[in-house]
Amino acid sequence: MRRTLVFVLGGLLLAGIIHIATVIMVPYFATDDASTLMRQFGRADVFHILPRAEAGAEPLANLDPKMLYAACRFSLSDGPVRITASLPNNFWSVAIFDRRGRNVFSVNDRSAERSELDLAVLTPVQMAQLRQDPPAALETAIVVELPLDSAFALIRVFVADDTLLSRARADLETADCAGTL
Amino acid sequence: MVGLSTAWLAVDRGYMLGSVSIGDWTAWPRAGTPDADPYSLAWLARSGEVPLGAGEGIAFTAQADHGGEPLAGNCVYRVIGQTPAARLWTLTAYDSEGHLMPNAAQREAFHSQEILRRSDGSFEIMVAADVQPGNWLPISRVDYFELVLRLYDTPLTAGGIFGGSTMPEIRREQCR
Repeated sequence: MRRTLVFVLGGLLLAGIIHIATVIMVPYFATDDASTLMRQFGRADVFHILPRAEAGAEPLANLDPKMLYAACRFSLSDGPVRITASLPNNFWSVAIFDRRGRNVFSVNDRSAERSELDLAVLTPVQMAQLRQDPPAALETAIVVELPLDSAFALIRVFVADDTLLSRARADLETADCAGTL
Repeated sequence: MVGLSTAWLAVDRGYMLGSVSIGDWTAWPRAGTPDADPYSLAWLARSGEVPLGAGEGIAFTAQADHGGEPLAGNCVYRVIGQTPAARLWTLTAYDSEGHLMPNAAQREAFHSQEILRRSDGSFEIMVAADVQPGNWLPISRVDYFELVLRLYDTPLTAGGIFGGSTMPEIRREQCR
């Protein structure tokens, strides 16, 4: 009787541990997550404009069809990254996701208080090294200090109607994520 | 086995912690922040979805009407009322898998700058498979669908005060 109880309790405990471990490990092994799907758009360190979300042809699940997106995979292991773009006066925003798909930074045009997107993304270690002799870029750019290795940035631009699509596309083509400080 | 299967269930059903409901709508404000819980992250990783960041906006999802019935493609719905303060919002219909639905009108969403409003600023959007007068958001005749209302640049994500906010009501009209 006592032995059965021990087995049941032990089993439940083990089940709990496996449950937690599984849930935590899923992002590391997922093959359909956003950062893996980003690879289909092309090589890293370049912004790729995602095909417009239309019925039957959506680059990622649950995208807003009223937005045009551009994504760039980058890594901070070779040094800081500067992300720049000249974007329209209407709504735009940018978000940075880490390897696990966590949204670690986001900003929109209003809170960035400018229409030129200019982010300096660097790790705390790189930041500490740069503090000795800060480059001019750190004065003007929005500094994003994050302990990232591989990550991706996603810019979204509001497209009020289809006639503005080519304009939005041209704006997104100015986006660059290969700059250094 | 129990551990694996409960994990699979929790992740597959999109069970996420920290949901906030206003009226007929539910949002997961923390999914787009660095504090996202492991369940949300696992679900996002499986779906390939990119959540809206707290600095961008917030997405509210509705899967049922005001009476609690699941949204069905053979019914006509009236989405009526106002949204919380936001610089921009969009209303989009997706099928149960999160995909856009093909329709003859080539319209998959409405946004706040193109909508016809009443004098008090409130609006009415008809969600139906057949042509409707006024603001018409077409859907397919699917068994289930969901509506996503995305608020961009909203004070909701900055302060996180959801209590006093009103969301539009989803009223079911007739079904066939």
